[in-house]
Amino acid sequence: MNVIERNNVRVSGTGPQTMLFAHGFGCDQNMWRYVAPAFADRYRVVLFDYVGSGQSEKAHYDRDRYASLEGYAQDVLDVVHALDLRNVTFVGHSVSSMIGVLAANREPERFERLILIGPSPRYINDDGYVGGFERADIDGLFEMMDKNFIGWANFLAPAIMKNADRPDLSEELTASFCSTDPIIARNFAEATFYADNRGDLGNVSIPSLILQCSDDMVAPFAVGDYLHSHLPGSTLRVMSANGHCPHMSHPDETIALIEEYLGATDA
Amino acid sequence: MTTPDVLLDCAPAFYLSIGDDGRVVQANTTLLHRLGVTRETIVGTHVETLLSRAGRLFYQTHVFPLIRMQGHAEEIFLLVETKSGEQFGTLWNFARRTRNEETYIDCVVIEVHERRKYEDALLQAKRQAEAANKLLEKQAAILADQAMELEAQHQQLTDQAAELEERADELQRANAALRDHSELVEQERHAAQEARRIADAANLAKSEFLATMSHELRTPLNAIGGYTDLLAAGIYGPVTPEMSHAYDRIVRAQRHLLGLINDVLNLARIESGRVDYTIATVRFGDVIRELREMIDPQVSTAGIEFRDEADDALMLRVDHEKLVQILLNLLSNAIKFTAHGGMITLRSATLIDRHGFVAIDIADTGRGIPAEKLEAVFEPFVQVRANASAPNLGTGLGLAISRNLARGMGGDLSATSELGKGSAFRLIVPRADDVRP
Repeated sequence: MNVIERNNVRVSGTGPQTMLFAHGFGCDQNMWRYVAPAFADRYRVVLFDYVGSGQSEKAHYDRDRYASLEGYAQDVLDVVHALDLRNVTFVGHSVSSMIGVLAANREPERFERLILIGPSPRYINDDGYVGGFERADIDGLFEMMDKNFIGWANFLAPAIMKNADRPDLSEELTASFCSTDPIIARNFAEATFYADNRGDLGNVSIPSLILQCSDDMVAPFAVGDYLHSHLPGSTLRVMSANGHCPHMSHPDETIALIEEYLGATDA
Repeated sequence: MTTPDVLLDCAPAFYLSIGDDGRVVQANTTLLHRLGVTRETIVGTHVETLLSRAGRLFYQTHVFPLIRMQGHAEEIFLLVETKSGEQFGTLWNFARRTRNEETYIDCVVIEVHERRKYEDALLQAKRQAEAANKLLEKQAAILADQAMELEAQHQQLTDQAAELEERADELQRANAALRDHSELVEQERHAAQEARRIADAANLAKSEFLATMSHELRTPLNAIGGYTDLLAAGIYGPVTPEMSHAYDRIVRAQRHLLGLINDVLNLARIESGRVDYTIATVRFGDVIRELREMIDPQVSTAGIEFRDEADDALMLRVDHEKLVQILLNLLSNAIKFTAHGGMITLRSATLIDRHGFVAIDIADTGRGIPAEKLEAVFEPFVQVRANASAPNLGTGLGLAISRNLARGMGGDLSATSELGKGSAFRLIVPRADDVRP
């Protein structure tokens, strides 16, 4: 098995350190297009798609493995090993924040620091914990996904789009952003929104940056505060950007905050 | 509002334009009316706030990245929620455009009551199909399990059937063998019965023949004896000493012959089962006394010592006459085969291995009987000669008759012997004073 092909790994840039960008639920590595290039002059930049997302080889999709975030963390470690990466600065959006926490806890020697954009260790409210959602909200999301994946929306990409040997389809390939398989998307959604990684936070032994958006209903302030107080060695920065995808809606602010953090933590 | 905006206000669809930060810039009256809000309250709010919570989550995770990446998105289903909490399904088309150096996302939205019904029905059908499929898979698994179980049971039953069949075969074979065997037994029984019938018939014929012959022989013998007695008494004229000597020899021969015939007749009677036993309690001392009266003269004549070591007080359950006959036969033989100066001993012994019986032993110091002939002496017409020159006394039927009589009373008669030292005959008879343990 070739991890590079399986996870559609793209490497660019040069530098003694590596920035590994991990996309969130609902899209693929393309979401880093406004941010990642900004670091390619000083860092080795690695992008990839989780198995089941983007242009990954979906034949390797294993329902059991990807039933929990541990399976996705293994994808991260597989990429790290395939490229023999060390001193990795892991940049994760949304659910990938917790995937990065799991990967770094398993092999901390490979990771330098974590940059977590819109992270949440648990989306569903719990006794004394505000995650922002009730279970009914999550079920509503699943229904919304079902409705949109039923066939009319742009989320379904024709199978022919996966043909890498048809370069003439490249334009359509770029037009199939965030296309996904409904069943895989549903499993990823369940793994994401039913996850509870609060117990993993205390084990993190490397420094981390929490980028908290203003007015982000997916990861509200209370969640950012909780993370900051439970993640040892964490730095919390509240962004002026609103919504859940500052790397797309406010790439400049996102880049600036990351660079600031890198400068402060690079010895 | 510009003219196009006025036109848009008349459209049966919702129209709204949002800034790149997601905040509402414009909305047509169709939307305002549907949501029950004024233009002033909606402008400036984030588009998310028009959606249900699930709709917001979907917008953030799926729709926004899509619009941002490819600049447009079509036919996105989102649940809109009014301030009063009413939710309704809508289809959205998004287009990200730049006007006057500002970037806007123009949205055209239609309410999809009917379509939503189709979708709901479709989704429900899909879920039902999935549920049915799961159920079917589960049932298939259960059926597969059951099939396996049944298969196992079937195998077990087949095995058992085979085993039973094997056993049945075995039984049939055993049965056949038994049948063969029982047929054989039956045949043998038939053969034995036939042989016995023939033997019985032959024996009866023999006995009848012997009885008849005895009678036919005895009549002339009695005539010989009677007329010889008359001649010896001088009825028919004077008797010279020579004549008297001759008469005497005729009478002796006649009596011997008569004895022989009587023995033969006795045996024939015993063998044909025509002997009656009168069993009574008999004191052995009485039997001995009676015997001694008969044998003492012969014993003293023969110069033999008779030693009586038997228990006089023994009480026996026997036919008195038959017991005397047996013992007399044994003692006569002993006297016959014991030389001058020899000894005959009478003993009685309790039997350890036969409760209720007693042994009466008569031992002599005669020449003995060869081991190979020990059993033959009990056969009719067999006699061991005292010596080559000695006269053949008796018929050779005595021991055969004695054994038959002993067995007829529930006892037995056997012999042990040592050549040159003597023989011992053991008569076993029931005792009356039996004290069983």
